[in-house]
Amino acid sequence: MAWTMLSGRGAHEVHAGRERATRPAPREEDPALAAEGFAEEALPWLDAVHGFALRLTGGDRDAAEDLVQDTFLRAHRFWHTYKRGSNAKSWLFTICRNTYLHGKEKAINRYERPAADFDARMETLAAVSAWGTGPERPDREFFDRLIGDEVIEAIDDLPEEFREVLVLSDMGDLKYAEIAEVLDVPVGTVKSRLSRARRILQERLRSFAESSGYVQERGE
Amino acid sequence: MIREKMGMIRCEEAMARLWEFLDGELEDVEEEAVRKHLEVCNRCYPKYDFQRAYFEYMQRTSPRGEGSVDVRRELFQKLLEQEAGGD
Repeated sequence: MAWTMLSGRGAHEVHAGRERATRPAPREEDPALAAEGFAEEALPWLDAVHGFALRLTGGDRDAAEDLVQDTFLRAHRFWHTYKRGSNAKSWLFTICRNTYLHGKEKAINRYERPAADFDARMETLAAVSAWGTGPERPDREFFDRLIGDEVIEAIDDLPEEFREVLVLSDMGDLKYAEIAEVLDVPVGTVKSRLSRARRILQERLRSFAESSGYVQERGE
Repeated sequence: MIREKMGMIRCEEAMARLWEFLDGELEDVEEEAVRKHLEVCNRCYPKYDFQRAYFEYMQRTSPRGEGSVDVRRELFQKLLEQEAGGD
């Protein structure tokens, strides 16, 4: 096993954790609602929920807007069940996902994504070592070379169970326990799905970057 | 071995915990072990740095609220209607 030590301690600057979005401030144009606290606690998360809805629906803007509206109308209707000062963001994401799933049940294929070749793709990916833990030296500037909507397209193309956990974590900034609550699965499942989702996403971005000539192909 | 004298974890252990370290989900003792490893390991640090860049990229490309002006306006109208008993 290779082990390359630096001569001095603390030569690399290392930080645990990452920055997570704090609750945005309420906006002036927010309506004066009778539901106490709804404007202050729920509405600031509208954009975040919209972002989540866009990815849940695979980028279908009309479906996402319907989903956002349904989510907030339902949240408003059941606002009396929300414990003020708890986690409105997780609560809203949960409602959004449940509404999305309910919509799928009601109207088959309304939000469904094609995943017929998923098994074949998973087998291919399983044979590839995890990017970032392989022998190559990854280059952080790789991300600066990606332009356009590659990452969004790659996320939208992920199977749903991977897409939702990745979006909740890496775009929605939810913690593992919060994601577990939204998805109603154990934390261990969140961790394994998230690890796999990131691996698939990064592998796809790399393939795209290689085929586009942004980075050199492996083995060259 | 130098790393054993320094009480270091191995590269495999550090990399196995990398996501949880970056997600801020490790207990203090484990977090400190990974941090100490990354601070001095020239093999693992680039992988850590790359994954940090991934998170920065994801934050930059998050489509929060894109084109949501009409969504907001329509939603606010419906919320007010709902409160007025229209739904």
